[in-house]
Amino acid sequence: MRHVDRGAVAAVVRKDLLAVTRSKAVILPMLLVPLLLLVVLPAMIGLGARSRTSPDISTFLNQLPGDLAEPITRLPRHEQLLVLVNGYLLAPLFLIVPLMVSSVLAADAFAGEKERRTLETLLHLPIHARDLFLAKLLSAFLPAVAVSWAGFVCFAFVANGVAWPVVQRIFVPTRLWLVVIFWVAPAVAALGLGVMVRVSARAKSAQEANQLGGAVVLPLIFLAVGQSTGLLLVDLPVAIAIGGVIWVVAGLLCWRGAVRFTRDQLATRL
Amino acid sequence: MPALVADDLTRSFDGRVALEGLSIEAEAGEVIALLGPNGAGKTTTVRLLNGVLAPDRGSSTVLGLDPTTQGDELRRRTGVLTENAGLDDRLSARQNLAATAAIRGMRGKEIDRKITESLERFGLGDRADLALQGASTGQRKRVALARALLHEPEVLFLDEPTSGLDPAATRDVVELIADLAKSQGATVVLCTHFLPEAGRLASRMAVLDHGRLQAFGRPEALAADLWPGLEATLDLGGAAPPPTLDIIRSCRGVLEVAPTDEGARVRVEDRHALASVVAALVGREVPVFAAVPRPATLEDVYFALQGRGDVAEEPRP
Repeated sequence: MRHVDRGAVAAVVRKDLLAVTRSKAVILPMLLVPLLLLVVLPAMIGLGARSRTSPDISTFLNQLPGDLAEPITRLPRHEQLLVLVNGYLLAPLFLIVPLMVSSVLAADAFAGEKERRTLETLLHLPIHARDLFLAKLLSAFLPAVAVSWAGFVCFAFVANGVAWPVVQRIFVPTRLWLVVIFWVAPAVAALGLGVMVRVSARAKSAQEANQLGGAVVLPLIFLAVGQSTGLLLVDLPVAIAIGGVIWVVAGLLCWRGAVRFTRDQLATRL
Repeated sequence: MPALVADDLTRSFDGRVALEGLSIEAEAGEVIALLGPNGAGKTTTVRLLNGVLAPDRGSSTVLGLDPTTQGDELRRRTGVLTENAGLDDRLSARQNLAATAAIRGMRGKEIDRKITESLERFGLGDRADLALQGASTGQRKRVALARALLHEPEVLFLDEPTSGLDPAATRDVVELIADLAKSQGATVVLCTHFLPEAGRLASRMAVLDHGRLQAFGRPEALAADLWPGLEATLDLGGAAPPPTLDIIRSCRGVLEVAPTDEGARVRVEDRHALASVVAALVGREVPVFAAVPRPATLEDVYFALQGRGDVAEEPRP
């Protein structure tokens, strides 16, 4: 079995990351969207919720199926709205970040190289096609996870800071949040890039890749948004299992992409 | 053993033949030119020979390696300058070179020093650390050339190395390639549609047209195949009248004769036949002001081969 040329993979990843840091068109949306979703929005919502005097949200909580609302209802009434909003309802936004960042970078992985006319040079270098594919996956995956984790740290500071006068304790992250951050979010990032890297290899430009990939990734985003609030209300093993399923799907997509990925296929579309 | 052999290389894309039955070879240290217009199959040839594309039919060996099955091993020993330079504009010249060196497994302070030396050699020392956005086409070509040569390749593929360059930059790049072939002893495959640079650099040329090889060999040998004998112009002080043309035709070794404004153009078997023609004319009191042999130029050969098939019987210009 062929060994991965780690040096070559690391070299491509370093080059791509360096290039990303030099591209305002890529880095600005990568930073602005998480800033809006994970800092500005929780701060505004938290401040808004804090200003209300012990609102009654029991009607809303009673509509939740099963005992999903139990973690909230057992809290003192003046804490309920803040914890509900910043501890649970904003979770969907957190999962958008890894999906979006990995998709944007993965779209650029091959289609961007074609657009900049740098792909042919890359194909003429002594790096195995599978290693190149792996490098491109990592070039999108690592920043997506890094931005997500950094975003979450900011989110945790904002959410706890805004709520502190009312709650007087740190309520984010919970154990389930940690599962979402360290297990589900990377899986979601892998899922997005599993789709987008393959689309990128076929598209002629990053814009075309984003358009083609959007058809696949947008439903995933909606799905993530729709399901992730529930994710923070389910049992820990269930959350881990959901993350596991996403990892398996992402792994399958990436594996199939790697198997079908050849130099010839890319060069034919130059 | 030749450094490069292609045998019946054929490749199509979506049913369109890009290259058909290409058979060429190059000795170690030789510069060969792939000549042809856009779409002739030159870039496809380079991609096939460097293992980027796989052939539909035929085979090749480069440095004794099969590009299809030993591509990575081969690419460690080859360098490629693609037509579009292929540089990441967001990075500096130094960063572009360093990234390529790292992918090639070249690391350490020794490489940093080599990159600096290489950039200085190509006259890029003063802008080595500036982003390539805004660099001129000539500067970009030089960076790309420095990158292609950084690992001292044994075979160098240069795809249109002077396209988009002004005349001065073209001259610089051609001189650079000539120097490289001479000093490094690398085998060079030069793809171009600029004939002067091919004539200056290459010892043999392959003329491609619509993916088909029209001819491969030394320009003078190809010319001899196309036009046997020696062509010469005779300055007779004015267009040769029919009796003068008859005198010329009657000489031994004359293959072809045609009037020109200055006198006549003749094709003879060899230079002795040309001397006989001059002697015959002088003997019949026809003044001969000059008799100048005109060897076939690369342009003559190229355009004759490009036109082969429909105008093959026409005399060369």
